[in-house]
Amino acid sequence: MPLLRARDLTLHYRTKKGPVRAVDSISFEIEKGTTLALVGESGCGKTSTASAILRILPRNVDRYEGELQFRDTDIMKLSDEEFRKQVRWSSISIVFQGAMNALNPTTQVGSQVAEPLLIHKDIKKLEAMDEVVSTLRRVGLPEYIARRYPHELSGGMKQRVVIAMALVMKPDLVILDEPTSALDVMTQANIMNLLKELQVRQGLSYIFITHDLGLSSELADKIGIMYAGQLVEVGSPDEIYRQAQHPYTRMLMSSAPRLRDEETPQAIPGGPPNLVSPPRGCRFHPRCPYAFKPCGWIASDLIDRLRDELIADRGTDGSPIRGFREVKAQSEGQLALEFEDGAAAKSALHPLESMLAELAGRWAPIGSVDRLSVENRWIVLRLTKPQDPVTLLPAHGASCWLLEGAAT
Amino acid sequence: MTSASRPEPGQMWKRDDPAAAPGDDGNSSSVRDTVPPEDGSPEAEGASTAILSVEALRMWFPVGGFLTRRDAFVKAVDGVTFRVERKETIAVVGESGSGKTTLGRTLLRLLEPTDGRLIFDGTDITHATRKDLMWLRRRTQMIPQDPYSSVNPVFSVQRILEEPLAVHRVGNHEERAERVLRALESVKLDPAESFIGKFPHMLSGGQRQRVAVARALILDPEFIVADEPVSMLDASVRVSILTLLRTLQERFRISFLYVTHDLATAKYFSDRIGIMYAGKLVELGPVGAVLGRPLHPYTQALMEAIPDPDPANRTRARTTLPGEPPNLVTPPSGCYFHPRCPIAKAGLCDQVEPPLRELAPAHWVACHLAE
Repeated sequence: MPLLRARDLTLHYRTKKGPVRAVDSISFEIEKGTTLALVGESGCGKTSTASAILRILPRNVDRYEGELQFRDTDIMKLSDEEFRKQVRWSSISIVFQGAMNALNPTTQVGSQVAEPLLIHKDIKKLEAMDEVVSTLRRVGLPEYIARRYPHELSGGMKQRVVIAMALVMKPDLVILDEPTSALDVMTQANIMNLLKELQVRQGLSYIFITHDLGLSSELADKIGIMYAGQLVEVGSPDEIYRQAQHPYTRMLMSSAPRLRDEETPQAIPGGPPNLVSPPRGCRFHPRCPYAFKPCGWIASDLIDRLRDELIADRGTDGSPIRGFREVKAQSEGQLALEFEDGAAAKSALHPLESMLAELAGRWAPIGSVDRLSVENRWIVLRLTKPQDPVTLLPAHGASCWLLEGAAT
Repeated sequence: MTSASRPEPGQMWKRDDPAAAPGDDGNSSSVRDTVPPEDGSPEAEGASTAILSVEALRMWFPVGGFLTRRDAFVKAVDGVTFRVERKETIAVVGESGSGKTTLGRTLLRLLEPTDGRLIFDGTDITHATRKDLMWLRRRTQMIPQDPYSSVNPVFSVQRILEEPLAVHRVGNHEERAERVLRALESVKLDPAESFIGKFPHMLSGGQRQRVAVARALILDPEFIVADEPVSMLDASVRVSILTLLRTLQERFRISFLYVTHDLATAKYFSDRIGIMYAGKLVELGPVGAVLGRPLHPYTQALMEAIPDPDPANRTRARTTLPGEPPNLVTPPSGCYFHPRCPIAKAGLCDQVEPPLRELAPAHWVACHLAE
């Protein structure tokens, strides 16, 4: 049985412009003693996934639902008080991004590490300090560090203190949110070594959040690639680093600069979408070089290019498409081409068909035109309905129509 | 910014350059005199082709003050010698505190060097005064690290880009507007017209950094110091900014000093790499040579610390260096790296400072044991 099993975990935030779908129905499993790495660009919902697991929610939550099975309890069903007592920090803890810079500068770090113990357990400060010292030792810090103030420590030592804070209650699962992003490469390597060692020695499980694919390979037993609030591919390191299936994963892999490889990294064009109104169908399709018919094109994606093509065509002599006036989007899935009169529309139908077929070869979105029909002086183009790509299987898979097409 | 703010420690050690010795207050009169290259340092020969020649450069900051005597210094840059050729990108790689940012700032004369010489296009700028540096400010630029704090949030993109033109009194209103548009186009903020009215908060991190690049380009500089220009950006945006810088360099024939801690990006973005440790250049050479056959144990350790996406990584620990970089007030004796060095030899490395030696063509290393 997995240590943690998430099913359709969802977290939306309420904003003036509408709900932000930060985490949109994601499912994954983590076995005891293993690491799941969540990788993706900024703003794709990695940190929100961590907040959703630990129920550290801001006030503007719009939707928070799904199933989170930790050992044999569905921790989503616990009350806030039960969750605080049974889960947070004692079973699942977190190393926040940049936490080492959030240490209280006026308090000795030992007392800061002891805080969770004093709050959650009914013990005296003196007993707590024994526990703190042994935890500091586990992360490779000598006892006297407990009496130091944050400004007396180096970056690597502060990061170790923050890791000690996450470990002091002896949790089973630790969420590591970019645990080394503010550190030097040498310190980063040391911290990664420490995390590996702790995992082996104590059977810890990690959720490791990072945007660095190289770094993720240091710990990951399984990798989940996140894009626009969804998991688009999950697989073993071999599957992800060597034979990625989803186009986004492949592009992410080829955008990573490598020290031991001659290939020049390629940037991914564009940026992640706005999560208030994410693209229809597959959320990656506007940036995807392979996007085709069902990937989620809508009328507004097609209209400008189509107009340009038809106007350019109108200029050429002997073009069989005559009397074209204007293109309009009638709905998300329907475009209408206006002609001078019904006869012009009728005679343009077949030439238009062949023109679209030719254009589809050069420009994938045209492939989503499903049906043409003449209605008075209009030719109506109906588009393939955008469909969400297949959902991932928990074991391995990528959520992409290309793979679905290959399978059938 | 200049000598007025702190005592000039120049008298405390020998000066190689008698021309700069009189008037140690930084008001050297020989500012625009052409200085012939000196021998005895790596790459001293043929310095006339270089855009910038750096000779035994030192940037020491005094520490202490009111109660303690001001006789201790943080030796942020301590005897660095190299040249920046025209149209070349040289990456300066090192950990935080290695002095790489201070080096970049000193090369642009944002700081006045404690010792050594800086020759920009044949002119000694080591101790030039602020007034005498206006021409240098126009020919050199800096791309800062953080695109979130380096652009004025209440300025529109138009005003951000026009500011350098106004400061240097370039062109009239129409010409400036035209240059702003051209700069935006060259950094691929397209269509340029739609960006000039925008304010920084309306732009993404990558777009802001493009604005910062456009601002650096607008005066047609010959030499740009890019200080960690992509470290605040998302991994996928980094590549596009670095590719842009590379394209611009080829198009406008600019020399770059790329300051970074990331060897992997330095590999794609530079022609030569210099590795800095504790204020000194420990290795310098063509990218392929330094990364293909690193000679200094520190370079080898830095490379070892950077993982490539490889499933095999998870099953082994990375070899790392013990300890921390040294205190730059009281650096170790001999080779500064010897306390952390896996191959240090007692009696040699802890006593004698290794000179930079050219072990392969154009590949210099400061290590007694490298061969």
